[in-house]
Amino acid sequence: MPGTSAPSRPKHSERTVSTYCYQCVAGPDLLKVRIEDNVATEVTPNFDAATIHPAGGKVCVKAFGLVQKAYTPNRVLTPMKRTNPKKGRGEDPGFVAISWDEALDLVAGKLNAARAAGLTDKAGYPRVAASFGGGGTPTAYMGTLPAFLGAWGPVDMSFGSGQGVKCTHSEHLYGELWHRAFTVAPDTPLCEYVLSFGANVEASGGVCGVKRHADARNRGMKRVQVEPHLSVTGGASAEWIPIKPKTDVAFLFAMIHVLLHEHARDRLDLPFLKNVTSSPYLIGPNGYFLRSADTRKPLMFDLGSARAVPFDTPGADPALEGSFKVDGVEVGPDNELFTHRGIEARPAFAHLVDHVRSYSPEWASWICDVPAATIRRITNEFLDHAHVGETIEIEGVTLPYRPVSISFGKTVNNGWGGYECCWARTLIPCLLGALEVPGGTLGSTVRLNRPADNRWSSIKPGPDGFMDYPMNPTSKEAWISRPTARSGHRTLVPLVANSAWSQALGPTHLAWMQQSEDFEHFPHASPPDVWFVYRTNPVISFWDTKRIGEAVANFPFTVCFTLTRDETNHMADVLLPDCTDLEGLQLLRIGGTKYIEQFWDYQGFALRDPAVTPQGEARDFTWIATELALRSGILEAYNAAVNRGGHGVKLSGKNYDFSLDVSVPHGVEEIWDATCRAASAEITDGQSSDGLAWFREHGFRVAPFPRLMWYLYPRLVEQGLRFEQPYQERLLRVGKELGRRLHEQGITWWDRQLEEYEAIPHWRDLGKLWEDALAKHFKVDISDYPFWLVTSRSMQYSWGNNVGLQLIKEVADNVIGHGSVVMNESAAARLGIEDGDRIEVRSPLNATEGRVVLREGIRPDTLLIIGQFEHWATPYAKDFDAPSMNPLVPMLLDLTDATGSAADLVKVKVTKLRGAA
Amino acid sequence: MTRWAMIADLERCVGCQTCTAACKHTNATSPAVQWRKVLDIEAGSYPAVSRTYVPVGCQHCEDPPCMKVCPSTATRKRADGIVTIDYDICIGCAYCDVACPYQARFKVDAADFAYGAGRQMQHEAEREDPARLGVAQKCTFCSDRIDFGLENGLTPGVDPRATPACANACIASALHFGDLDDPSSNVSMLLRHHKHFRMHEEIGTGPGFYYLYEHAGSPAAAEERSARTTPTAPSRIRSRGVEPWHQKHWDWKAAGNFLTGGVGTGLFAAAAFAAATVGPSPLLGLLAMVLVGLGLLLVMMKIGRPLRAASVLRQPQYSWMSREAWVAMVFFPLALAAVWTGMTVLWLAAAALALLFLFCQGMILREAKGIPAWRAQPIVPLIVATGLTEGAGAFLVACTVLPALAPLTRGAAVAVVALAAVRALAWVTYRGALTRDGAPTKALAVLDDYRPWLLIGGLAVPAVGVIAAMLAQSLVEPLFVLAGVAAAAAGLGFKFLLITRAGYNQGFALPHTPVRGTGHAGPAVKPGWILPSEGLRQGGP
Repeated sequence: MPGTSAPSRPKHSERTVSTYCYQCVAGPDLLKVRIEDNVATEVTPNFDAATIHPAGGKVCVKAFGLVQKAYTPNRVLTPMKRTNPKKGRGEDPGFVAISWDEALDLVAGKLNAARAAGLTDKAGYPRVAASFGGGGTPTAYMGTLPAFLGAWGPVDMSFGSGQGVKCTHSEHLYGELWHRAFTVAPDTPLCEYVLSFGANVEASGGVCGVKRHADARNRGMKRVQVEPHLSVTGGASAEWIPIKPKTDVAFLFAMIHVLLHEHARDRLDLPFLKNVTSSPYLIGPNGYFLRSADTRKPLMFDLGSARAVPFDTPGADPALEGSFKVDGVEVGPDNELFTHRGIEARPAFAHLVDHVRSYSPEWASWICDVPAATIRRITNEFLDHAHVGETIEIEGVTLPYRPVSISFGKTVNNGWGGYECCWARTLIPCLLGALEVPGGTLGSTVRLNRPADNRWSSIKPGPDGFMDYPMNPTSKEAWISRPTARSGHRTLVPLVANSAWSQALGPTHLAWMQQSEDFEHFPHASPPDVWFVYRTNPVISFWDTKRIGEAVANFPFTVCFTLTRDETNHMADVLLPDCTDLEGLQLLRIGGTKYIEQFWDYQGFALRDPAVTPQGEARDFTWIATELALRSGILEAYNAAVNRGGHGVKLSGKNYDFSLDVSVPHGVEEIWDATCRAASAEITDGQSSDGLAWFREHGFRVAPFPRLMWYLYPRLVEQGLRFEQPYQERLLRVGKELGRRLHEQGITWWDRQLEEYEAIPHWRDLGKLWEDALAKHFKVDISDYPFWLVTSRSMQYSWGNNVGLQLIKEVADNVIGHGSVVMNESAAARLGIEDGDRIEVRSPLNATEGRVVLREGIRPDTLLIIGQFEHWATPYAKDFDAPSMNPLVPMLLDLTDATGSAADLVKVKVTKLRGAA
Repeated sequence: MTRWAMIADLERCVGCQTCTAACKHTNATSPAVQWRKVLDIEAGSYPAVSRTYVPVGCQHCEDPPCMKVCPSTATRKRADGIVTIDYDICIGCAYCDVACPYQARFKVDAADFAYGAGRQMQHEAEREDPARLGVAQKCTFCSDRIDFGLENGLTPGVDPRATPACANACIASALHFGDLDDPSSNVSMLLRHHKHFRMHEEIGTGPGFYYLYEHAGSPAAAEERSARTTPTAPSRIRSRGVEPWHQKHWDWKAAGNFLTGGVGTGLFAAAAFAAATVGPSPLLGLLAMVLVGLGLLLVMMKIGRPLRAASVLRQPQYSWMSREAWVAMVFFPLALAAVWTGMTVLWLAAAALALLFLFCQGMILREAKGIPAWRAQPIVPLIVATGLTEGAGAFLVACTVLPALAPLTRGAAVAVVALAAVRALAWVTYRGALTRDGAPTKALAVLDDYRPWLLIGGLAVPAVGVIAAMLAQSLVEPLFVLAGVAAAAAGLGFKFLLITRAGYNQGFALPHTPVRGTGHAGPAVKPGWILPSEGLRQGGP
């Protein structure tokens, strides 16, 4: 058998099954599974989708773990119930196998009791809670469970599993406000120059991100990576600038300084600034827009008529700089009116110019530990590549061509400083006309604005010529003084809006913190009566994981959908084995523009067709959801929710109706057949009604998605709207109102967060903010903790729920740093630490242990721990002996920003452990 | 003609290991067996640091050293350039493993599963292939897919069904596969337009695996030649699995063949000299034969498929291991006949074969192209000199024990010292060659640590012992024994270390780190090596 790769054993049968992978937020992507003798043996790309999928129908390394995920001997294969009423890390749960009937009755009994007691408790918090991980991707695997939750009524989804610290949180909120950008990406296929502050696209950008950036490199795109350690992405970049952690704000402010103070104005895109931003809006003495007294429209000073005119005056040539004598009113918080006559007022742009005068590269240099010349050179290169004034034709429409972009990784755009960074990252493209235009900086998708089918349809005219935004109210009458979820998201964070995603995007750690401490004048947050957990392990993945574990142990009834035993389901009352990725049936929307770098020229649907017979007693999620609905007495509401599209696709439309009979339970295939039919009809405008059998044969169905819709600019111009930059008058007012509401209720513990609501953000010393908070809270001398500890995503592990898979560990170990503490060679040498030594890394909160990997590609003042480990219950992973930063990062209000996020960042010290080498 | 080749575009590769995983799926390899993998190489000093991702695996060489050493003919090269292994013929000697300068070969002796023994998963059972146990395995370029494709009119490298799984799966489209002999193929076009290199070009194997490191690029790229923070000198290198590591398959048993084979053949040569001068010593002859036989027995114990041991004879036209076996096949009957008959001519003929056997041993190491400390040309005289010195040492001891040999004692003693001196000279030459050509740092450290033992223990002690014995009135015999034992032991120790501790493989190296979008290619990186210039600077041997 010379040189063959196939084994000698004869095969009885062989076939392939099409499915999708949405294990990470950068998906979904398409794949095929090879089935030999009814056993899944091989994952391959789906080359049938080569021409419609941005990455040629390929999937990343994580998808190759799916076969082991189905067959791992560590799976929980029957429903289990806990027999030990005591919960905690040291307690043996005493799980015993039970039947599905018993398990579902047990869960339904608790649900029915909760309903009988009232859907919310005395404080107004939902009695049922649910936590899902993976940045929302679990919905691609949970069948009709979202319809069940929708039918149930209020569900508290604010117990975070990593949100706020593991996501790009500030970008989610401010991005949606400014340019419908839940996540932000370069228009990589056209971009020439990307300045990436820690955006680890080669690890977390998915196959589309990797493909687009590789194409761009071959084309000559320059990417400069600014980050404390040389990440996978940094390695693949043209240049690495090792910046001090959490000082990106200063670098960005210095860039604005260079653009505004070191170059002629005509290097900027002045028409863009005048016509598509609020730069010309005049600012009153109280800091609010100066408005027309009668229409309340913001005023600009028209150079043509030499008078102040409303912002939407046709033919106006607004001034960007200068001081003008004008009349007008300001509308302050709670509609306070300030009337002015004959005052001197300057445009927002002029205020910006003044504001950044002192933020020179020399100023930033000592903060960032980056030479001023480097900051200046990078800014100048950025400007040189902006092609200001040039245009490009996209699908017959002429648009500005600005092939420069700035992208952020997490820790840059979450926690304190996130606002400033996101503001600067949105403003700089505005100065060059590079926001939401070909080659420039784009948003990818919406999760807070509605409707969410695409970004264009979410654009609606709002106040002052800007896009509307669904802020949570801060007026005296409408402010939601009683939190609707334990995080208090709608009460504390106006920007988080009120979509299905809002709960998960609030200050989710507050929900956890309140399990052990009350916040003054805030309702006491009881544990939920019933807590559902799926595809998440917050006892490992959140911050201060010891504290999370203690809170989880106190929850009275926890239901975990379970692949294998883990640290969170160690505290569960019931384990329900659901079908894994390759076992369940589901139809998913694909295409259009999605997270990260998923920009398609098509949109449609893909089927997750079971490739593997469910192992053991594992059940399809749709079956579980239907059974729960039936047993908890909400079948009709559940079926109605399915008909409404609560599971992803509305079953009826203008000229089709595949709605299910709401009075009877339906089988899994019946539900998805109707869904497939509705999807076929939706995408063909009622022409087709192909069902499940068609999708099983073809795998996916798409229709063209106009590339023009990648860009917001044409739609914005069409509607006569402007980007809300540079001046944040609305946020300033909202912040003042929020402060008043909170103070009226006696709440002062959110005062620090109120400071973030600035019209033009000031630089603040974030390093000192962190150090002071840690020193104050833990009463330590922070100089004893000389290193910054940061983390980094791993393509192999991130979001994959796959830490227990041998294949993933095997291949991840080929990438430097996994499972270790990465440290700079020289810094280690000063401490007598050698490669491979075992060390303790201790923050003021807690400590972790691991082996040192010495590298040159990391700052001497920084340590890196990739991913999230330190498992103690998850089979296989518990033997890794891998360190994790999560136990070391405290949940502190002082480290919580106004959006409710913090950052994966803490000060630590290291100790070489004895007897280890 | 067709010449299949792989190209890795280092500007595109991001080290994600999707190709690694895809290969493992398609080829159902055991845990830790990675026919394809991607290296993660960091070089430079903070803050001028580069990080390069380098796909590696079998390079399907034009002149594959693995094939030339294979004694069983299991490894062959197809007309289209693909190097194959026939699992049904391979004896599992792992000679190919030490001959491969790309560390591409694996050998798994017992079934291994992701979650351990007794926890075999369904797909592992479905794909279990006992034919692969105990034999060499490596990347096949997915030859079955290529053959299937060609049979069905598809173009490998273009049609996924006819293309290696790693290239298909590569999410960065960094891996390209195609026919080098077709000037219009994807790979030919890429090589024509972009700068490229092959790894370890200096070894001369003609790899069928190319690395693109600088694209012609767009006008924008041509204009953009800004300062790039790549290192100017790779002073520190951190990486996983990049620095040479010690070969795993040739253990003490393999070393045993060189030890006892060396002593045995050397001893037989000395015994033949004795037969020609003072008369035959059957005991000595038999002892030498037993030693040589013991070495071969030890080798049999280490190969993966001992029942196929006879296949070692299949490739005398290339493989020095086959040649060694053939020599042994003739040596043993001839030596037995010599011992049996006592005929001097037979003794001398058998001795000639013994020396040939010894030469084969030197050549076996010489052809192990994957191990820099073995492949150096002066290894052959060193191994021969070492075997002869050991044999002479053993003979000297025998002279003190066997009265019939007593007249030869003084001559043997002089021979021991002379051979030890020749051996020392051979060692200096050998070590000098390593300095000149460069070698893995760790291998040199092992060798240098042993230098006093070889030169003092192996030359000075025997020389002083022999001189003392010549001058002494008493303790003459113990001094000769000391000299003989010291001379032999030093050589035995050297060979044991050479095989089991200095057997570091080639590791990986880059003549250039790649351009990433803009800028210039970076300097060469060769982790874990003392490069020729550095070695000379450090003073050599």
